[in-house]
Amino acid sequence: MNRRDLLKALAGAPLLFARQRPTVTTVNGVVFGVETFSFHDLPPSGDPQLIPTIIKSLQILGIAECEIMSGHIEPFASVMTGWWVQSRRSPDFPRLREEARQWRLSVPMTYYRDIRRRFEDAGLRIYLYNVNFNETFTDAERERTFEAARELGAEGFSSSTVLSEARRLVPFVKTHNMFVAMHNHNNLVDPDQFATPASFETALAMSPLFHVTLDIGHFTAGNNDAVAFIRQHHDRIINIHVRDRKRNNGPNRPFGQGDTPIADVLRLIRNNRYSIRCYLEYEYGSFRPSLDEVQTCFDYCKRVLAS
Amino acid sequence: MTAMTSVRNYVLLAIVPILTIGPRLDARQERDAGGFKAPTVALERGRTVYVLNHCHFCHGDDLTRATMGAANLTQSALVGADEDGNMIGPLVKAGLPNLQTAMPSYVELTSAEIVDLARYIHYLRQQARFRELSRVTNAPAGDRSAGETYFNGAGKCRSCHSVAVDLADIGRKYDTATLRARMLRPRPNVPTDGVSPTDGQVAHLKLLENYTAADVQNLAAYLGAR
Repeated sequence: MNRRDLLKALAGAPLLFARQRPTVTTVNGVVFGVETFSFHDLPPSGDPQLIPTIIKSLQILGIAECEIMSGHIEPFASVMTGWWVQSRRSPDFPRLREEARQWRLSVPMTYYRDIRRRFEDAGLRIYLYNVNFNETFTDAERERTFEAARELGAEGFSSSTVLSEARRLVPFVKTHNMFVAMHNHNNLVDPDQFATPASFETALAMSPLFHVTLDIGHFTAGNNDAVAFIRQHHDRIINIHVRDRKRNNGPNRPFGQGDTPIADVLRLIRNNRYSIRCYLEYEYGSFRPSLDEVQTCFDYCKRVLAS
Repeated sequence: MTAMTSVRNYVLLAIVPILTIGPRLDARQERDAGGFKAPTVALERGRTVYVLNHCHFCHGDDLTRATMGAANLTQSALVGADEDGNMIGPLVKAGLPNLQTAMPSYVELTSAEIVDLARYIHYLRQQARFRELSRVTNAPAGDRSAGETYFNGAGKCRSCHSVAVDLADIGRKYDTATLRARMLRPRPNVPTDGVSPTDGQVAHLKLLENYTAADVQNLAAYLGAR
């Protein structure tokens, strides 16, 4: 080994030593993560400081895993991927959507691998890739998005999607042997939306690789019973989004002040050792930085699980 | 100092504060996770309702960065027609449960909170519309004739002003940028505690919320030629 090789090897050494094995954050046996939507004051999509800020936030919270929004990975906001039908009315939407598509089809996989490495170097992991699949995706785009999720190190997807799109995803989950967990809102009128037990059950019957990301706040706002649903379908639920909303389409509230049975759900998961991950999602109003509020949410869950 | 120089100095003294107040007030520094702090106690009450009910997550902390499919409230016709929450209040209380991602129902808000919220939304809208409409653009010059029609018709300008009396020679008094700024928002640029806006200012703020860019161009062309 000459001097140049030795210097090169030494330059790489700190990274090798710094890299930690991703850990799992548990509180009394319950696994916790964060939905990165919770970090409201992040730099915009594509900003070079975005990923470092998410990593730093997770480290401060002491939470090892996350469900990361596509808008935090891709250099354009999630809205440009077509999920919100209202956003499609913008005159710029067709052009921007096509730009997003071309980016997805051309970006090298090293782009995703590099992001994964940055998380793993910090002892963190991306457990779920949150992509809101919809009919504006082409099959080529769906294919590349599954490849991207694998390169990010994600186990699967969490997706705010609809039943009609779920049907289109069946061959992709089979080919890639990768799950998609359907995330609900609380639109009870549109039968294509995930909002009720029946809508989830329809999707679960389509593929064994379809699962559930149960947002217990939205589920409660839609006047559903989160505890009963978890008891019945715990083996198909990957994670829950922990938030507190009032019933009857009521607003988000600080944990413990809404109608969502957060305490009952967390204890149910703990007492039955369900393999359901609990992901914090902060969305109530506050004047404080979002990181402080996510910490407050986490502290609430810890107190619940300590009793 | 000649009489003419003296007059010119007074005019300059009158214009300089107009030109300096605007940018400084737009660059207010004090802010928190809910956006910039409001300039009056009453508006800060409205901001509290707006932020603690997480309106800013979807509609943006200054109304200009709507996301998640939410309506852009700087362009909403409903907000433009609202008076102290008479349109905003019922919608906020009922929510929009049938949207793809529903807008929650805020049934617990009191009548006073609705008024505070609505006034804060109007304040944000006025700030945003002022920035948008006073921006110097490459838009084509306005149509004087259309400006006159607006002045005497939809704008109802004639109910308070006359181009033969108070607005006579206004095109020679102010340059185009100043004329546009005064037309869009007569002083003061932002509300101040203890100072109630005049009826004229209230009327101009209502217009400000509802002008189109063409209305402003046309009015500026019409008045600039006086």
